[in-house]
Amino acid sequence: MDLEAFAARLSALRERALQAVRETADPSSLEQVEAAYLGRKGELRTLLGGIGGLPAEDRPRVGALANPIREDVERAIAQRRERLESIALEVRLAGERLDVTLPGRPLRRGSLHPLVETEREIARFFGRYGFVVYESPEVETDERNFEALNIPADHPARDLWDTIYLQPPDSEATGTPDDGRLLLRTHTSPGQIRAMHEMSPPLRVLTPGRCYRYEAVDASHGFEFFQVEGLMVDEGTSLAHLRGLLDEFAHAMFGAARATRFRPGYYPFTEPSVAFDIGCVSCEGSGCPACGRSGWMTILGAGMVHPVVLRNGGLDPERFQGLAFGMGVDRIAMLRYAINDLRVFLANDLRFLERF
Amino acid sequence: MRVPLSWLREFVDIDLSPEALAERLTLLGMEVKGVHRIGADWSSVVVGELLDVYAHPSSPRLSLTRVRTAEGERELEIVCGATNIEAGQRVPVALPGALLPGDRSIGVTRIAGIQSEGMLCSGAELGLTPDADGILILDSESPLGEPLGRLLGDTVLDVDVKPNRGDALSILGLAREVAAATGATVREPLIAVPESGDATDDHLSVTVQDVLRCPRFVARYLDGLTVGPSPTAVQVRLMAAGVRPVSNVVDASNYVMLELGKPVHTFDAAAVTEDRLIVRTARPGERLETLDHIERELSADTLVIADPVGPLAIAGVMGGASSEVREGTTQVIVESALFQPVTIRRTAQAYGLRSEASLRFERGQEPRMARLGADRAAQLIVRWAGGRAAMGAVDTDPVDPPATRLTFRPARIARLLGMSVSGDGMRDLLARAGIVTEPAAARSSVAIIAGERPIPLDPDAAAEALVAIVPGHRRDLAIEADIAEEVARIRGYDAVPSRLPDTSMPGYRPDPRLMVDRVRDLLSGRGLNEVVTYSLVSPQDHASLGHDAQDPATIRAANPVSGEHSELRRSLLPQLMRVLVDNERQRRPDLAVFEVGAVHALVDGHPKEARHLGILLAGAADPLSWDRPSRPVDIADAKGLLEWLVERVAGARLRWEPGPLHEALYHPGRSALAIAELESGHRVELGLVSELDPRYLTACEAQAERVVFARLDLDGLGRTVPAVQRVGDLERLPALERDIAVVVAETQPAGAVEAVMRAAGGPLLASVLLFDRYEGAPLGPGEMSLAYRLRFEPGTRTLDEDGIERAVASVVDALRERLGARLRG
Repeated sequence: MDLEAFAARLSALRERALQAVRETADPSSLEQVEAAYLGRKGELRTLLGGIGGLPAEDRPRVGALANPIREDVERAIAQRRERLESIALEVRLAGERLDVTLPGRPLRRGSLHPLVETEREIARFFGRYGFVVYESPEVETDERNFEALNIPADHPARDLWDTIYLQPPDSEATGTPDDGRLLLRTHTSPGQIRAMHEMSPPLRVLTPGRCYRYEAVDASHGFEFFQVEGLMVDEGTSLAHLRGLLDEFAHAMFGAARATRFRPGYYPFTEPSVAFDIGCVSCEGSGCPACGRSGWMTILGAGMVHPVVLRNGGLDPERFQGLAFGMGVDRIAMLRYAINDLRVFLANDLRFLERF
Repeated sequence: MRVPLSWLREFVDIDLSPEALAERLTLLGMEVKGVHRIGADWSSVVVGELLDVYAHPSSPRLSLTRVRTAEGERELEIVCGATNIEAGQRVPVALPGALLPGDRSIGVTRIAGIQSEGMLCSGAELGLTPDADGILILDSESPLGEPLGRLLGDTVLDVDVKPNRGDALSILGLAREVAAATGATVREPLIAVPESGDATDDHLSVTVQDVLRCPRFVARYLDGLTVGPSPTAVQVRLMAAGVRPVSNVVDASNYVMLELGKPVHTFDAAAVTEDRLIVRTARPGERLETLDHIERELSADTLVIADPVGPLAIAGVMGGASSEVREGTTQVIVESALFQPVTIRRTAQAYGLRSEASLRFERGQEPRMARLGADRAAQLIVRWAGGRAAMGAVDTDPVDPPATRLTFRPARIARLLGMSVSGDGMRDLLARAGIVTEPAAARSSVAIIAGERPIPLDPDAAAEALVAIVPGHRRDLAIEADIAEEVARIRGYDAVPSRLPDTSMPGYRPDPRLMVDRVRDLLSGRGLNEVVTYSLVSPQDHASLGHDAQDPATIRAANPVSGEHSELRRSLLPQLMRVLVDNERQRRPDLAVFEVGAVHALVDGHPKEARHLGILLAGAADPLSWDRPSRPVDIADAKGLLEWLVERVAGARLRWEPGPLHEALYHPGRSALAIAELESGHRVELGLVSELDPRYLTACEAQAERVVFARLDLDGLGRTVPAVQRVGDLERLPALERDIAVVVAETQPAGAVEAVMRAAGGPLLASVLLFDRYEGAPLGPGEMSLAYRLRFEPGTRTLDEDGIERAVASVVDALRERLGARLRG
């Protein structure tokens, strides 16, 4: 065999190898082809193993002939591999095709109750002015719910609060607790008395919570409802401060452009007493059935703490002045969310809850 | 209080529209709840004159009338069923096309074969008087053809008078308020009784046995009366004010009550034995048939007006039937008394007889009105029923008390109001409310709290103080702060500046709601819906929790609103079940809800509130989806929630112990107590999780087969939250993990396995996670395999393999020794 014949065989090998590479359809057959031509026992090695048949002077030139061929085949294999891999990936991805218009894997929606959230928003607002939440119990004495708040027994103002009283605890079994007749607080105002006894001025507290009244349930009344009471006591606390706070509050809850009205009201535990109105949220003040055609809606009652209440809270009414306000959380929530029937709050229908 | 403007105008001039007046009164504290127009629902009703009235040819009960409504206009022929009409009268005519109250339209009709061109109207048909039988006969001067609305229409303000202003439960009182608002002058009614003949004393004696409860009693005697209907105008006015006309005498007393705010009562004098009235408390066993014809047994503390034979009336509340003024009564006694407000309030409540009269007594009366009321009633009775009033009156306390003098400090009031008004300014404002002021005497004292000794003023303060001379009707003005409100009210609350607090801030206090809000945020973020339920529940609710009707710890309402809501809840569970059942009815059986609220019980006889978190899970554990099978909730869902929550909120780990046992409430094998293990090593029971017993579910009428309830004691949880959480730096060194599978008896509680591993794992064992639980071949019968991943976190020094192996080995040894466990192959 001479060099020429050897070169011809190399060239033929190259053609066959490239042909075989082109014909592979998957990575494993490509590996077989690679092994068959370039492997340790592959054709190229076998052919090169036969260079002993060449004249001695030709042998050094074999490398120069064979290397380009090896490189050609290696390159072809690498290209083919890349191509096959990319085909394989395409096939895999094509097989993984989904209907992307399917909905996502659903999560439970979850919600916070509108009454509790409204209460939190109220507390958050007054928190900006230093009011801190002070919790006061739902079971109260007649003394703290009424007497200490300047509402003695048989006072006509008691008509404003229809009260649920509690059965006296079994006195034989327990030893009578001598702290007066028990009732379910009709308002959060007894919190004022407790707060004044527990803390000293300057005092700014907010008492939110559940209240009870002996009432028939209708669209605007319930026997259980929620109030927030505010109390601020200091030497210089004035009716002007009450107005300032309430104006800001109305703007925070019902919009910065909301009109407000500050007018006389009546509560036995405040003097002067205040009724606080906002422009009707339904008609914006032009007059509609929701506001009794007045253009105004009352959202809370307030006033300057009555001297006797300050004294009953252990404070000197000559030195200290206090402002107090109380509002129905239910009412604020109804106005904010345009709800006309408050029974929906305690019905806990998921259709309603999931709107919040 | 319903206030017809036509009546109000008798006492004060009003230049404002009804709406503007309503607003001014509201801003003065007399809230106008509504403005009603009488006559607004009449159209094409005019004044007509009856030219002829003759019998209907075929129907004897009907009359045929000829009516004209204008000079020269065509006459109308109208059929009428009333019997009180005659030619020459002026009457309201509803023309064809007219509209009457109740959207009743009037046309040309045939009645008993005769065409009727419109209708003659009764007082009832117009809503003016209660009389439905007769035609409303108008004043003969009424202009022909005048629309009736212009003649008899009125505007009525519905004023919400607050309990402290009994004086404003009257036309006169509200006229004073109008005057205070507008600066107009009040005209008091001219009260002059046409007296003649003998004296009241000759006909009547009055004895008051209980002067405390009846401080003053004024009586007058009238005779020669003819009881009959009041003049139409009076009836129309009373109706407008919301009081039904009865007869001229009774109407006179109601008229006085509305006009002056003074309730007066009239007795048929012929029914009063020996002409003697005695005010006393009822005797045991005494009975009285009241005006509503109910025979009542009088309780011993009832104040009555009696004659020597027995009670005639419950004082201030209701008269008796035997002495009622009726047709044929010719002589009456007018009673105008003062009663102690508390007495009247209690009595009216006890008998369920609260009335316009008792309401006014409860709110207190101006003393001078006792005499004025009697005189005004006598004047009106004579005017409307004829006869004469005897000379003078019987009056048990004829001297009116002096006016109250109330010292106030203008500077103190300005400080309270946060408003700059001078003393002179205050005097001007008070004058508009009829309150005269003068400088205070040198040694004055100021009333801060009603019924307590006034505070003496030093000479400097006294020099600047003023005294308000309070008119008798303003019983609400008793202390300095009352004057402050009066100043602000007359000046207008609108003039109060709006100022944000500029006084000192209170010191820091922790917010008790912070943790609760965190719990709420976390759970709602996890997909639970927050609910708020009633805290008053039924005895049945409690019975199914094991608290029977005699349970001494249950707090019960003495006057429950209903049997469904009579006891304060001791658990959130019953109402959460209610939420489930209600939503199941709305075809929403998959539920994950929570509530944060108070539960109540008596502890040592004292009411105690505890703050609980309740969670209820029912139906599918996850929302229905196309890509996974639906799985019902079970106890592990609730455990996972509580473990996660407690870890997030308090950084504490929960472990579970069997219990609590409660037949027919908690599933006997699927209930667990939640125990928190604290950093300090303390263990605290914080709540429970339980699948509910099917019998309880059935009793609640729930459809769900499996419902999980979880409860967490939030007060207890709060105590486990450290005030400041100490976290420390992150370890630089990587953690190492080892998985081991332990074979134990199938009955072995996994909680104990984990506890043993934690105890034996040494300080570097950071977490123990159960990731597989297996029973069956190749394990032996009665065996199970639990596979755990142990995670070791080295502190500061590198943890070598040997160290880990030693820790694992000691875990395995402990399991073998304590629980007889072996490692799985």
